Amino acid sequence: MANMDGSTKPLIIWLGTNTCAGDMLSFLNAKDPGYEELISSIAELRFDYLLSASEGSDAINVLDDLQKNHKAAYILVVEGSIPTRSNGLYSVIGYRNGKAWTALQAVRELGAAARYVVAAGTCAAFGGIYAAAPNPSECVSLQAVLDRKVINVPGCPINPEWMMGTLNHLIQYGEPALDDDNRPKLFYGETIHNLCQRRDYFDNSIFAAKPGEPWCMYKIGCKGPVTYADCPVRQWNGEHLSWPVKANTPCIGCASPEFSDGSVPFFEHLPDVKLPGIKVTANRVGQLTGVVTALGIGAHLIGSILTGRFAETLKKDLPRGSKLKLRQRLKKIH
Amino acid sequence: MNWKKQRHSGTVRLLHWVYAPAVLALIFSGLYIHSPSHAFGFKRMDSARKTHAVAQFLLLNSYVARVCYGMKDKNYKEIIPNRKTLKAIPKFLKYEFFLSEKKTKYPKYNPGQKILITSLAGLTLVQMITGMALYFKPLQRAVKPAGGLNRVRWLHYLAALMTASSVSVHLYFTLTNSLKKLKSIFTGYA
Ligand code: SF4
Repeated sequence: MANMDGSTKPLIIWLGTNTCAGDMLSFLNAKDPGYEELISSIAELRFDYLLSASEGSDAINVLDDLQKNHKAAYILVVEGSIPTRSNGLYSVIGYRNGKAWTALQAVRELGAAARYVVAAGTCAAFGGIYAAAPNPSECVSLQAVLDRKVINVPGCPINPEWMMGTLNHLIQYGEPALDDDNRPKLFYGETIHNLCQRRDYFDNSIFAAKPGEPWCMYKIGCKGPVTYADCPVRQWNGEHLSWPVKANTPCIGCASPEFSDGSVPFFEHLPDVKLPGIKVTANRVGQLTGVVTALGIGAHLIGSILTGRFAETLKKDLPRGSKLKLRQRLKKIH
Repeated sequence: MNWKKQRHSGTVRLLHWVYAPAVLALIFSGLYIHSPSHAFGFKRMDSARKTHAVAQFLLLNSYVARVCYGMKDKNYKEIIPNRKTLKAIPKFLKYEFFLSEKKTKYPKYNPGQKILITSLAGLTLVQMITGMALYFKPLQRAVKPAGGLNRVRWLHYLAALMTASSVSVHLYFTLTNSLKKLKSIFTGYA
């Protein structure tokens, strides 16, 4: 089907909001199909915040045109979280009619007219690093500002194939099967832990004590057991060469909804407990619980012995014969 | 004929002796899974995980059976604290903190026991929900408000610590408070 301007390829807008640009840079490493194949024979990347040759109103006019003249004909990909403080002024993507066009306005307007909306990377999908405490710009996920379905492709950054696969699925077959977090099950259907090559070390309790060791990274905080992604089998760097555990460092759970506030400290099994003015590790909480319980029980036991309650219980409840035997034994000892 | 009043029925005792060892096995295997160390009695993660899986299965079933039995027999009324229990707490605490010598007689369980058993039942429920969500992806919908699996793992750990602490307190009081009552969980009669 031809677009209104005569082009026949599906249209894609890749918008950058509060982002480090890592997702687009990672996407450029896609292998099969690669970026070149995507833009030459699969789709038309009509706007890309990072690779655009034009700038200023020339670039913004492209977005205007797509929104007005290509309703429900383009895929909107958003990279980065959306700052909401001060009506979104912490992220301005350009100027329209001399006024700042905030990311918040842009994603709402372009999102309303898109055929599909895709969140590229954990920041767009769940808030990610920009939404981490104290979050001064009040960043949120794309879904939080749109009242339509957003397909989430998290990762910090995204694996190029996750995004290339999702885009191709949308173009060729429509929406892929999604999980409860709207992630394509194709790439996020199993935990890293269940796909990991070092799983055997885990089962046999052969753990690395520090990064750099070739064993299971569990004891140094690997978030593989609570992270859904296929990194161990798909691997990274375009050529599918490696992934964090293969490079002897723990998975930090970058594709999870709780990343990064809920995954830190990266080298600890569980997050710290933060109370006003204090920060306690999970292991310390365990030790404290043990000590408080032991002290409480010990104090009560001492109190019971000193007040004679404990002896009273024994006297009252022990059967007669045993009381006699106990008394005789005590006499012998004395 | 046995004229003594039965304190624990056969069903209650049977279920107690299914879930009591299951809880202990879950605590030790769970602590090993959290932080692998020989101190918790396991050498391999695989055996700790298998123990955890079997024990949680036993706990889940005996817990559901106990709840059903409690509803059918209405004996949950003896356990769940009511307004009367709350009123009795100050007096009970005075005695337990050695500020009063007068030991009050309670129908079956004292306020402390009621609160402890009910808390254990509540904590077990939290453990079952969080544990199952960590295990089965389809059940993760139930724990979505917690904000991610690592946070669910935290809740599971925290509830495990509280359970371990409550079980220790329970064991201490059953072993030191009344030997007759302790006997009744084996024989049924105090
Ligand atoms: S390295 Fe991480 S993902 Fe791999 S088995 Fe160990 S804990 Fe699981």
